[in-house]
Amino acid sequence: MSTLDPLAGQRPAPVPCNFTKPFWDAARECKLLLQYDPDARKYQFYPRPISIFSGRRNLEWRETSGKGMVYTYTVSYKAPPPFKGVSPFIVVIVELSEGVRVMTNLINCPPDQVKIGMPVRLAWVEAGELNFPVFEPD
Amino acid sequence: MSDRGIAIIGYYETKIELKSGRSVYDLAGEAMAGAIAHAGIGKSEIDGFAVSSCFSDAGNPFYAPVLASYLGLELDWCQVTDLGGASASGNVARAAAAIRARMCDTVLVLAADAQSSENKGAIGAFRSEFQYPMGIMGPPGCFGLLSRRYDHQYGLDAKALGKLAVTQRNHALMNDKACEKLHRRLTIEDYLASPMISDPIRMLDCVMVCDGASALVVTSTTRAQELGARKRVHPIGYGERINHLETEQCPDITAIGHSVAGARALKAAGLTPTQIQSFHPYDDFLIAIVLQLEQLGFCEIGRGCRFVMEHDLSYRGDLPLNTGGGQISAGQAGLAGGAHNLVEAVRQLFGEAGARQVNRRDNAMVTGIGWIPYGRNWASSTVLILEAAQ
Repeated sequence: MSTLDPLAGQRPAPVPCNFTKPFWDAARECKLLLQYDPDARKYQFYPRPISIFSGRRNLEWRETSGKGMVYTYTVSYKAPPPFKGVSPFIVVIVELSEGVRVMTNLINCPPDQVKIGMPVRLAWVEAGELNFPVFEPD
Repeated sequence: MSDRGIAIIGYYETKIELKSGRSVYDLAGEAMAGAIAHAGIGKSEIDGFAVSSCFSDAGNPFYAPVLASYLGLELDWCQVTDLGGASASGNVARAAAAIRARMCDTVLVLAADAQSSENKGAIGAFRSEFQYPMGIMGPPGCFGLLSRRYDHQYGLDAKALGKLAVTQRNHALMNDKACEKLHRRLTIEDYLASPMISDPIRMLDCVMVCDGASALVVTSTTRAQELGARKRVHPIGYGERINHLETEQCPDITAIGHSVAGARALKAAGLTPTQIQSFHPYDDFLIAIVLQLEQLGFCEIGRGCRFVMEHDLSYRGDLPLNTGGGQISAGQAGLAGGAHNLVEAVRQLFGEAGARQVNRRDNAMVTGIGWIPYGRNWASSTVLILEAAQ
């Protein structure tokens, strides 16, 4: 199956900062890392400089299963610059089995097929020089 | 606040314009001149200044004192508040606190932005890293995600949203400060037919970014009496909630901070929602009004659309709502837009709303919303309850 990704080839590169470097380094190897607080026994996303649960800097990076379900979605008919002339695409908030949510695109899914609660799995697309995590129907 | 020790004694709002080409400093100058003239005080009475941050001069790390210098203000207290559309209502509370703390006597609360003419804002943070690469259409996209989930949980009645759009537009048509470009009649059918931006968000769900400014004069009630203020409006309750449910990684996205801020404001004011005589909620998107109606307690959770259909929300109705047109129909003056609904509430309580004057004007509720965090609804929620002096 050819990849259905209306934003392909146009994604601007993410701009990492020092404490998110491990995330983007792992993304090059198609691994999605989440920060984990071993004391609170909870994951957090997006990456922070501190545990949002305890206020301590005791965070570990752990790889996710990449499995989740669609918490909500929107079919977008426009995209801001630098995107040009895109056909309708899907933005989702995915709830991962690790108990965090990731806001990204759902690819390989026609816009009229997406549903809240549908199972999805991790996929990767190119954004500038980096890999960017998206999801596809599982 | 509930002791009526703080008073708003004057206000002014510029015309809201699309791409006016005006400097944010010029808009601020007009707002200040108008507000002190309306209050009937001299410039030298102003010794405190609270201003909302803006997009037009967003690169300036010294915005508040620079703007105060342009305005010729010598101050004993000065601050910028960066809660976006919650800044104006938040600044009334901050002004009250500063006056109570005896840091100053009379505060100019000002909000100005010319975002449609000049935008130097760069929010950066997680957006550069995790949001921009996936093409989400900014606020309409985020509210699309929120609306879709609301629809899943409770059912979203597009006709109710259309009724809100029409009610507000009818108010804007009676407001000569409202943006000319929006000065045309709307029907529910127009709303339903307006193009999808980020499904289920239609174009007519959204604000249009414009330029404009507003200002209020806030002082102690004692000082207001010494100054011979002709009219007074007292802030009698305020609540603020920032980053509601931040440490929950999978919260209900429809749960908004106004539930907490509203309860605090109503308790301080000693009022229940049924006693609120007019409601001026922050409206960047129509769904935000529905969520606020529910979580401020005007109706049950999930019944917001039904509430809209069952009530007359016009200026003559049982709960007049955004009688100035709201931002969606009057235009959003950038980050100063949060002052539009605030000034309209004060105008109504002063009895100066002209043809759209509400009948019951003992009190009014104003809210603010600011900034959209990652995968949530909004970061800042404010609720301010105002009362006309007897």
